[in-house]
Amino acid sequence: MLDRPLVVSGELSWLGGDRLQRRVEHPQRETSTIADGEVTQQREGRSPRHFSLKRAPQLQVLLDSFVALLGGDAARLQQAFEVRQEGDARGAWTLTLVPRDARVAKTVASIRIDGYTNASRCMHLQEADGDLAVDLLGPLAARMPAEPTREALQALCQSAP
Amino acid sequence: MRRGARAALLIGWLLVLAGLGWMVSQRLHVSTDLRSFMPAPTTPDQRLLMEQVGEGPGSRLLLLAIHGQSDAKLAALSQGLAAALKKDPRYSQVLNGSFDLGALDERLLPYRYLLSPTLDTQPLDEAYLADQLQQRLDDLSSPAASLLKGLLPRDPTLEVLQLAERWAPATSPQLREGVWFSPQDEALLLVQTAAAGFDPGAQQQAIDGIRQAFAALPGSAGATLEPSGPGYFSVVAAAQTRQQADWIGRISTVGFIALLLLAYRSFSSLLLSALPIASAALAGIAALTLAFPEVHGITLAFGFTLLGVAQEYPIRVLSHRRAGEDALASVRALWPLLLTAIASACIAYLAFYASGVNGLKQLALFTIVGLLVAGCSTRYLLPHLLPRRVHDVADMRWLIRARTFVDRLPRPRWIPVAVAAAIVAMLALARAPFWQDNLAALTPLPADLLQRDARLRQALGAPDVRYLLVLEAPGAQGVLELSERLQPQVDALLARRAADALELPSRYLPSVAVQRARQARLPDRATLQRALDQALQGLPFRADLFQPFVDDVQAARTLPPLTPERYAQTPLGQRLAAMLVPRDGHWLGLGTISGVHDLAALQALGADTHGAVRLLDLKAASESLVVDYRTRILQALAAAALLLVLTIALALRSLRRAWHVLAPMTLATFLVLAVERVAGVQISLFHLVALILAGGLGLHYALFFERDTGDAAEQRRTLHATIVCVLSALLVFGMLAWATIPVLRAIGLTVSLGVAFHFCLSILMAPHARED
Repeated sequence: MLDRPLVVSGELSWLGGDRLQRRVEHPQRETSTIADGEVTQQREGRSPRHFSLKRAPQLQVLLDSFVALLGGDAARLQQAFEVRQEGDARGAWTLTLVPRDARVAKTVASIRIDGYTNASRCMHLQEADGDLAVDLLGPLAARMPAEPTREALQALCQSAP
Repeated sequence: MRRGARAALLIGWLLVLAGLGWMVSQRLHVSTDLRSFMPAPTTPDQRLLMEQVGEGPGSRLLLLAIHGQSDAKLAALSQGLAAALKKDPRYSQVLNGSFDLGALDERLLPYRYLLSPTLDTQPLDEAYLADQLQQRLDDLSSPAASLLKGLLPRDPTLEVLQLAERWAPATSPQLREGVWFSPQDEALLLVQTAAAGFDPGAQQQAIDGIRQAFAALPGSAGATLEPSGPGYFSVVAAAQTRQQADWIGRISTVGFIALLLLAYRSFSSLLLSALPIASAALAGIAALTLAFPEVHGITLAFGFTLLGVAQEYPIRVLSHRRAGEDALASVRALWPLLLTAIASACIAYLAFYASGVNGLKQLALFTIVGLLVAGCSTRYLLPHLLPRRVHDVADMRWLIRARTFVDRLPRPRWIPVAVAAAIVAMLALARAPFWQDNLAALTPLPADLLQRDARLRQALGAPDVRYLLVLEAPGAQGVLELSERLQPQVDALLARRAADALELPSRYLPSVAVQRARQARLPDRATLQRALDQALQGLPFRADLFQPFVDDVQAARTLPPLTPERYAQTPLGQRLAAMLVPRDGHWLGLGTISGVHDLAALQALGADTHGAVRLLDLKAASESLVVDYRTRILQALAAAALLLVLTIALALRSLRRAWHVLAPMTLATFLVLAVERVAGVQISLFHLVALILAGGLGLHYALFFERDTGDAAEQRRTLHATIVCVLSALLVFGMLAWATIPVLRAIGLTVSLGVAFHFCLSILMAPHARED
């Protein structure tokens, strides 16, 4: 759909329970909140938009994986995803999550999280139609290239800190 | 008649009845649409009411609430139920709050540029497209991305979403888990049935269909589905009435049989005397099935009630038999009087036929055929079957004492004057309004049902059933144009909170003129492509991504404008069809209103349109209809009364004797009215029907008491027959008077009072006892 990747920066915070907030600073201020099965989108100078989490399965997946990861809830992770873990001697690791729900899998093919020792560095959301969303987390966020390519981001995520 | 011939006659009679029964079972279609029991509407508002009562958008709406589970499970049930009902042709619209792109037909998708008001203020130029595309880019990086991604290439300005928002109910309830929820944690759905709201039979089927679809959903076991709305109420009211009428009917049937056994002490007499009534009922229904394609349920219910008069014929025959007298001879002696009674009753019911109301015509045909068959079979068939040896009632000791008592009663000449004065005084004293015009008051609904309905209606912003804004023009386009012109005024009214919402037909379909104007604003392919290319500068979208958008805009430029006929084939078209109806070469637009706060402001809306726009109060229209209805029945009754006087005077060949029959009957009828008025009862149509039945019974009492035979034993038999008739009528209708449902109570109370008054007055005003 796009011939160039879309870059946004901001903050993703876990508000506890099944609630996530995503605040975008650049290029356009926007706050999205997932709470009680509903997504609320607030953009500057416009009326807020609401929709059900059920309409956005990839958000449900994101929510499940985040809450389970951040809350350390392995059982929940196992329930929603097939989990595959790889690692090497240097301390780099990759966690691959494949949704178990066939309906969800129609939009979200997999989630991959790259990390090093005890910190997550990147999150890749592979959508079923080929689109890929890459989140650079923590200190790596500052190193987002101005004109990123898939390959460059891949290299960045798997490089040693 | 010989034994063999008697058996042959009995078997032949039963065979004919069986044949009639078979024919009735093959041909009888019972309709439950209450409208066929209403008079033909005369004013345009009444005609509109008759349609709206049945087919108006408000009256066909069912409000559903599901509760008793967690929100997530309720939402899943709501989605499942909506999906199941959308496939069912019994429901024309199913809404549960979930956003549904499917509401706009795929083939109609290019029409979005003609339906949405965007183009009225905003050309599809470079600046607009650039702004929209930037917003879409932000959308793509937002959580809404997966929701909108599919739409983007074809609809980058999200015109479809604008339409969906425009067509969503004006005040929608809270959305949870993607579906509507009430503040009381119930999942809410709105279902519009294809069937008329005032047809309890069809509504019952629609509600059963919803319950079945709900029960078939996985996980529905722990949750409860509660319907509400006018259609559901008509089902509840009909079921309530039937239930009470059934158990009262069972008790009084047992009592009736016991009474006849006690009176005649002959089982075979009892069974045989049921034959004329059974013949009457079957012949009546058979005649109806021949004359009308559908028979109304109320016709049958009222018809059986009115046929109660015919039960008197065999009772008279049984009571008037002397010991050893041939049954045929005793019937012959009674026949002139019976014939007078039958003829007068038929004439009274003929008045119903003249009323012009379909249901009443059926009622007239049923009772007239029934009475004639009951009378003729009592005269020509029954006497041949009755047992030879009977017990002469005239020798019963209690009867002799009763007759002596009756004969000794003082019969001053001033009785009629005193009774008439009392009637006038009571009628003058009664304070409550005379007529009950509110049909709903006769079948009241439990208060908790009404409260729930009000609560759900408010939560769903469902339109009021009482008010409609009517827009009239020579053509459908004229109505839509009128509706568009009215929109700014309506918006101003809504801003002032005169009402919570007011939906006009143009909200769903703009007029052809507006569609053409929007078409003219659509740029041609080259212009649009140029604007799009410039807008895409600096944005990361693929250059050819929006080709489907450009194609759609081109298609929209040359589309024939959407007309109501073409629109009607889509799900949304159904919604419009309910708001735009042809009538007598005119078209009417119906605006639905919810939450009326300032009635005067709404009425003022069409003040300067010379009647093209007006507020219709369905309650007022229905009351005026009932008033018309009553006027017609009263006129018919007046005509019948005149005919009755003539018939009786001719039959008795004496005005003085006719006076002795008709005076007690008339006084008793007015006495019932006066007593009910003093007791605070408001008179409804059902009271009038009951008064006519009581009048028919009273006519029998008066006719037989007036008969001067000069034979004391015969006088005793007359008293016996009359007492049996009075007691059986009191038994049946006295039971009904205890019912809690006002319709049944109205009939029961009126007939019981009537029978008692007719009996007393016809004894007290009978002439011959004084001359003895």
